[in-house]
Amino acid sequence: MKELQQILKKEFTHIFRDRITLFLVLAIPIMLVLLFGFTISTDIHHATISVLDLSNDSQSKALVEKITASGYFEVVSYPKSESEIGNDFRDKNIKLAIIIPNEFEEQLTNEKFVTIQIISDVSDMNVASILNNYVKAILIDFTNDYNGTATMPIELCTQMMYNPEANSVYMFVPGIITLIMIIVTALMSSITLAREVETGTMRMLLIAPVNKAWVVVGKVIPYMILSFISTITIIVISVLVFKMPIKGSVWLLLAVCIVFMLTSASFGTAISSLVKTQIDAMMITMMGLFLPTALLSGFLFPIDNMPYFFQILANIFPGKWFIIAIKDVMLKGSGFFDIWLYMLILFLMAAVLMTLSLIRLDKRR
Amino acid sequence: MAVISVHDIIKSYGHIRALKGVSFDVEEGEVFGVVGPDGAGKSTLFNILTTLLLPDSGTATVLGRDLFKEYLEIRKNIGYLPGTFSLYPDLTVEENLIFFATMYQSSIRENMSIIKPIWQQLMPFKKRPAGKLSGGMKQKLALCCALIHKPTLLFLDEPTTGVDPVSRKEFWEILGTIKTQGITVVVSTPYMDEATLCDRIALLQEGTFIRMDTPPNIISSFKGELVTLRTDDIFKLLRKMADCPLNCTFYPYGENLHVIFYDPIATILPQFEEFLQQNDIAYDNLMQISPTIEDCFIEIAGSTHP
Repeated sequence: MKELQQILKKEFTHIFRDRITLFLVLAIPIMLVLLFGFTISTDIHHATISVLDLSNDSQSKALVEKITASGYFEVVSYPKSESEIGNDFRDKNIKLAIIIPNEFEEQLTNEKFVTIQIISDVSDMNVASILNNYVKAILIDFTNDYNGTATMPIELCTQMMYNPEANSVYMFVPGIITLIMIIVTALMSSITLAREVETGTMRMLLIAPVNKAWVVVGKVIPYMILSFISTITIIVISVLVFKMPIKGSVWLLLAVCIVFMLTSASFGTAISSLVKTQIDAMMITMMGLFLPTALLSGFLFPIDNMPYFFQILANIFPGKWFIIAIKDVMLKGSGFFDIWLYMLILFLMAAVLMTLSLIRLDKRR
Repeated sequence: MAVISVHDIIKSYGHIRALKGVSFDVEEGEVFGVVGPDGAGKSTLFNILTTLLLPDSGTATVLGRDLFKEYLEIRKNIGYLPGTFSLYPDLTVEENLIFFATMYQSSIRENMSIIKPIWQQLMPFKKRPAGKLSGGMKQKLALCCALIHKPTLLFLDEPTTGVDPVSRKEFWEILGTIKTQGITVVVSTPYMDEATLCDRIALLQEGTFIRMDTPPNIISSFKGELVTLRTDDIFKLLRKMADCPLNCTFYPYGENLHVIFYDPIATILPQFEEFLQQNDIAYDNLMQISPTIEDCFIEIAGSTHP
């Protein structure tokens, strides 16, 4: 144990003497989450729309009022007939038109099915689908106010049910946590181990009568601690600045993060056991783990929409399982028994890779 | 008892044969030198004996233990100073030493007596990062780290390469004191002058030991007649020597030219002077001298690879 303590102490000394890397490791997560939250946000505010209110009764006015008050839309035109809507798209560059049918209030009171028509400018698919979702969300809100239930006059898109306002930051946060953990844990672990090989200090450690597991564990733990600090920072910013909910247990969320850290660290160790230089370690971690995780984990592109081959491939990257698990805990409020399988997969990946790299490290070549 | 016993070790990297069957014994308490040019296979041999590398074939025991089966036991009792600087450049002198002491389950206090003469020289720099030390100081620190667990056998792979002459001399003085503590030392060097400081040396060339003996024995077995001369235009002389009809080996040695003749000196020297005059070469200080280890190495290497 004295050896482990000494290795930990040494590794922390390396980290604290390399101020630039330390700063980057701690500052990048904050920058990333703020960047994604504010700048790269896909939220749209004050989209220009037209509203054609064919009823003009008290309920339809209330609905229009609600749409205007949401902040997402700015009603630039109140056409008198459907034919005028086409002109609005051309002349006023509206993104969306909402048509409220005749006898809106009457149909509502008689509990009939009301069809509200939406016409979207689909030249930008993303914007159109986001705006559609905003309208749906407002309609849910409206019916809720009206009769206390969520019985909807139009069909709901189910994949949005956990994020009714399509708030993009909720989708990005799990992805950012994943990428940061891979950078700090996997990348830094693989680089720091490769550095020992590159500078020749690894052979000094190899011929020392010290347990090789301590060498690896002692080098990896400091980066796990750093990455844990980053993760907590990201979560705190998401909750405080972007009002992201944590519906499940915070402890379970942290436990999932710790398991994923183990997996990332094991990937880093395994990569470093294959290479001889820091630059190789970096390239392989970035190209072989970071990029595929960013692209295939469901963070940027939905896995369901990928070609079948990539759907299968996504399974071997730990990011997919981690993102499912933390989304479930944060947004759905899932408990341990809902996500234990994902945690087990991550843990098994960690165990297998760590064992393989320890065997390879201790072997004479 | 032989501390190291090596029998027919062979090691190849791909199609390059680094060691082509090396056999030798190292006796307890001696300083055994492995001398040879860069690329001769010195570091490969050291990596095998320090259990970092597996040979392709051959057998060996180190400290009476089998190199293949009992390598963990060997590791506990050997010290190793690798050919390239292998300490943490961002840690201070003191931090490096404490770290390696702990890795070898030892402490600075416990074995201070062994490293004291070196440590005293390092003391003024103990708060300095190891990467910022001079070449000589780096090697002294590395030696401290290799000695901190009181090994009975010490491997030094080119400890004085890239070190200034004064520090080299100091380093060898330190090796002398290490020897008096009963530690067996295996040291490699490309510097021939250092070879004479070893008890026994092995001349390594292209993966084979071309000679192994004590330095005096190697020098006394020098077969040729060695002659030195000085000239202002060594390049002209070297060019002309290529056409020299006499049976000889020649090479620049510092500012001078050394020539090894294989015929009796009394008959060959007048012929050589005549050759020089014919070729219009101005020279002085032409005389016969006794060979150094370097001359012996060149003679032996030259006769093995004509």
